Amino acid sequence: MNTFHSPGSMVDGQAAMRKEILIQKLQGLKFRDKILFSTLAVMFLLSVGIALATRWLLVNNLTSELEIRGLAIAQSLADPSRTYILTKDNPNLVSLVFDAAQLGERKPLIAYIFIADTQQSILAHTFTTPFPNDLRQANPVGPEQNNSIKLIRVHDNPAYDIAVPIREGIYQIGTIHVGLSKKHIDHLIAKLRITFLGIISVIGILFVVIIHWLSRYISRPISQLTLVADEISRGNLDAYMDSHKEFPSVNKRAGNEVAQLTDSFNNMVTSIKLYRTRLQESEEKYRSLFHSGPDPIFVLDRNTFEILDANPSAEKTYGYTKSELLGTPFRELVPEYEEAYLRGSEDKSLDDLSLGISHRAGSRKKGNLLFYVNVHACPTLYKEREAIIVATNDITEIMEKDAQLIQASKMTALGEMSAGVAHELNQPLNAIKMGSEFLNMVISRSGSVPQEHLQQVVNEISSQVDRASEIINTLREFGRKANLIEERVNVNKPIRGVFTLLSQQLSLQNIEVKLELGDALDDILAHNNRLQQVIFNLVTNARDAIHQKRKEGQGDRLISIRSFQEGDRVLITVSDTGMGIPESLKNKIFEPFFTTKEAGQGMGLGLSITYGIVKDYGGKIDVQSQEGAGTTFKLSFPVCSSTREEKKNKNGIDLLPGNETKSKDTTMKEIGPA
Amino acid sequence: MLALLMSVLSRLAACDSKDSNILLEAEVPGITDTEIRIGSSLALSGHAGYLGTQTLHGAKAFLESINKAGGIHGRTIRLISYDDGYDPPRCLANTQRLIVEDRVFSLFCYVGTPTTVKIIPLIEEARIPLVGVFTGANALREPFNRYIINIRASYYQETDAMVQHLVADLGLSRIAVFYQYDAYGFDGLKGAELALKKYGRAPVATGSYIRGTMDIEEGLAKIIQSGAEAVVMIGTYEPCAEFIRSARARGYNPIFYNISFVGANEIAKRLGKDAEGVILTQVVPPPEAAGYQTHLWGTVEYSNLHRLYFPEDEPNFVGLEGYINAKVLVEGLNRCGRELTRERFIDAIESIQEHSLGIANTLTFSSTDHQGLEDVYFIRIENGKFVLITDWLKIKREIQTTGTVPH
Repeated sequence: MNTFHSPGSMVDGQAAMRKEILIQKLQGLKFRDKILFSTLAVMFLLSVGIALATRWLLVNNLTSELEIRGLAIAQSLADPSRTYILTKDNPNLVSLVFDAAQLGERKPLIAYIFIADTQQSILAHTFTTPFPNDLRQANPVGPEQNNSIKLIRVHDNPAYDIAVPIREGIYQIGTIHVGLSKKHIDHLIAKLRITFLGIISVIGILFVVIIHWLSRYISRPISQLTLVADEISRGNLDAYMDSHKEFPSVNKRAGNEVAQLTDSFNNMVTSIKLYRTRLQESEEKYRSLFHSGPDPIFVLDRNTFEILDANPSAEKTYGYTKSELLGTPFRELVPEYEEAYLRGSEDKSLDDLSLGISHRAGSRKKGNLLFYVNVHACPTLYKEREAIIVATNDITEIMEKDAQLIQASKMTALGEMSAGVAHELNQPLNAIKMGSEFLNMVISRSGSVPQEHLQQVVNEISSQVDRASEIINTLREFGRKANLIEERVNVNKPIRGVFTLLSQQLSLQNIEVKLELGDALDDILAHNNRLQQVIFNLVTNARDAIHQKRKEGQGDRLISIRSFQEGDRVLITVSDTGMGIPESLKNKIFEPFFTTKEAGQGMGLGLSITYGIVKDYGGKIDVQSQEGAGTTFKLSFPVCSSTREEKKNKNGIDLLPGNETKSKDTTMKEIGPA
Repeated sequence: MLALLMSVLSRLAACDSKDSNILLEAEVPGITDTEIRIGSSLALSGHAGYLGTQTLHGAKAFLESINKAGGIHGRTIRLISYDDGYDPPRCLANTQRLIVEDRVFSLFCYVGTPTTVKIIPLIEEARIPLVGVFTGANALREPFNRYIINIRASYYQETDAMVQHLVADLGLSRIAVFYQYDAYGFDGLKGAELALKKYGRAPVATGSYIRGTMDIEEGLAKIIQSGAEAVVMIGTYEPCAEFIRSARARGYNPIFYNISFVGANEIAKRLGKDAEGVILTQVVPPPEAAGYQTHLWGTVEYSNLHRLYFPEDEPNFVGLEGYINAKVLVEGLNRCGRELTRERFIDAIESIQEHSLGIANTLTFSSTDHQGLEDVYFIRIENGKFVLITDWLKIKREIQTTGTVPH
């Protein structure tokens, strides 16, 4: 549209380069100027073209047309002049040529007319000056010719001399010459050309004005849009909406591309405004969440884990001012989080929302006071940096409540155990009694007892005291609140502990216990007494299931416990030959307060707490049951890797004295049959 | 582009006029150190020969006297005259010859409307002055032409004045027009019609004849039938005399009014008794009007010179007009001085204001008015003599008593 070059004009590199520059310049022009300039160029070319064409057409056509006219004049004179030549009536010849030359509009066209006889002497002419002699022979007409047209010069003025013979019969008696003033012809041409150019110029100016108006008409809404767009990018959205009301007519020009653009623009602005409002609302919502939320929220740099922002709750909870918090590495608040996060992000199986979750992390507030938090995080962008939003939820209180619950449940178990423990203690006590009676008898009989026997009895008594002491220790151990720190435990130890307390009781109840404890098992990270609680719960459940079955009166009474290792997991199975769990209840057995026992016989918290404890150690609990044939609970724990252990030790979390806590924050949904 | 073309064109035009100016200034035709050559083409023979001859005699009488007195600023005037027989082609050929071959300074003393009108283009092209034309044709006055110097009043003025008297003074309402079927006749007809139109009238009849013929019968019949009380006649003396004679012969005696070109003396001579009561308008006073000599000292001067150089003639109206033409020519040349060019000559003529010629009718020109005299003289032929009309009431009474008018 806007290049004057034809595609074929690229002949050499320089020209091409120049062309490119030109094109670039043209492309840099405003839309309106482009239209204007291209129109002007077209108009200019058109004018030049028309002027040239007009010149060519006019010069040719007009000249030939006038020559024909001159010829007609000459021929029309030939007839009457013949008579006058023959009668030698020169005055009438003169009159004739003058009349012919002066007739109407011929006057400026005809430079001269003259009549010559065959001897080339002039009979009549229209000159008012002496007849130019060179004219006589300037354009002779031959005997065979009907006419002769020749461009000659008369008194330095060019003229077309049209010669027509006057014949009497077949012989020529004279010649009529009609001279057409070339100046006049040129003048006519020039006049026509000026008229043409004038018309073209007027049309051109009109055209330019129209195009100017049109291009403004087109570009005005565009530049208005540009202005408004600028205004909007300065954030002045409302200003646009105000000014927009001023040209609603734009909207009404349906079908027009500019109007469509404007409409689209309007829609865009409207939706931007809408989204902006929504965004603002959302931002305000989140800002209020951020500012007034009860939990501390931090924005961390994802690479350095430095605190970029923190909410008032964080200030309150941690006791630092905001300015103290900003730039502080997060590890000073939650020492283990950074590692947990990095570990989480390496795990490809986790999604964005769950990779930042860290449970029961130790956290320090000002003054190095420790408390426990759940940390939730999600990645985000903060001021164009990769960041993490981290919310720490103080769970210390929950953990304490959990621990109390566990403790209460344990106390219940202890109560249940008391009868068994009594039996258990009875045995050594009886043995001690018998020993002491033997010794009493020895004393009374005085000395008939060999030394070895005495030794044996004393040893026995001692060992029975040891046994009793062990039972009591175990009991005490069981009842003690667990540390918050996990320790390396060989799973066989709590199993044995439980059976220290229960074996007597179980055998009294005719329940056979079969222990298959694996050798050389790796340690796991757990609490001994909690594991005891787990196993105690499972064993008592097994016992109860067997009891329940016995009421129906049938089958073996066996509880078998196995421990073994599979790869990096240590497994414990507790099987019974009880009545089993109906399929419909399998989903519910881990729910709190779910029990199949009669009212008053249990709170329904046993398995629920068991599940929580196992989960806390990263373990899994699995149930296989066949109704009427028995149930097997299968526990699996990850073995403790030494590195992990070392790290734990290095972080060196102090225990809150007397706070044996236990988290149980898993939702019910997660508890399902394996 | 447009402006460029314009400027080129205007420059061309400028060159054009400059060139011809240079040509004129380089050499003034017809002027030598001792002589001013002027040319005339006029009817010296044929049916208007009297007019040409007398005009020429009148003019020559004055020019001879000037030459005899030493000429104008040391130059004598040589008048070259050709006979055109009142024939336009011949007039044209003569004029061309005067301009091209004789290279006269000025044209002078032309006679007749069709002849003079024919040469107007030639005058324009050659830019040669024409002084004194024995015709009152409007074509020589409008459109204005710088090179044509008229002296006498126009036919329009003559007919207008006459019609005014016929209608207003004599109370006539039925007026017919008889005219020569050519430029002269048409001019007179038009003047009469325009004059009548002022009174809300039109000619009751018009009749015409062809120039150079005597075929007046048809026109006469038409006019007699119309019962016109007056006939305005625009013609030459021969057919007009024939018309009046034939009309009287048939007992038709309206007021015959002839225009100046008819040649008063000639028609009076030809009509003899029938001339009685014919009214004419003249643009010069009667050359030998009894009792007015002191007022009209110019006519006396003329009569004397005419008699001196052309003793065979009687001084007459036509001769007087030629004489006055010559006086204007000489006055113009005189005012130019030695530096004589055509343009300066015309400027000199235009400078003549309120100049007395001794005919009770002052001569005034201007750059927009090239007709020197305005007055019209009314003449009635009474007892074979030309009498200036002073009392129209008398004529009216006469008409009523004699009852020369039909009805």
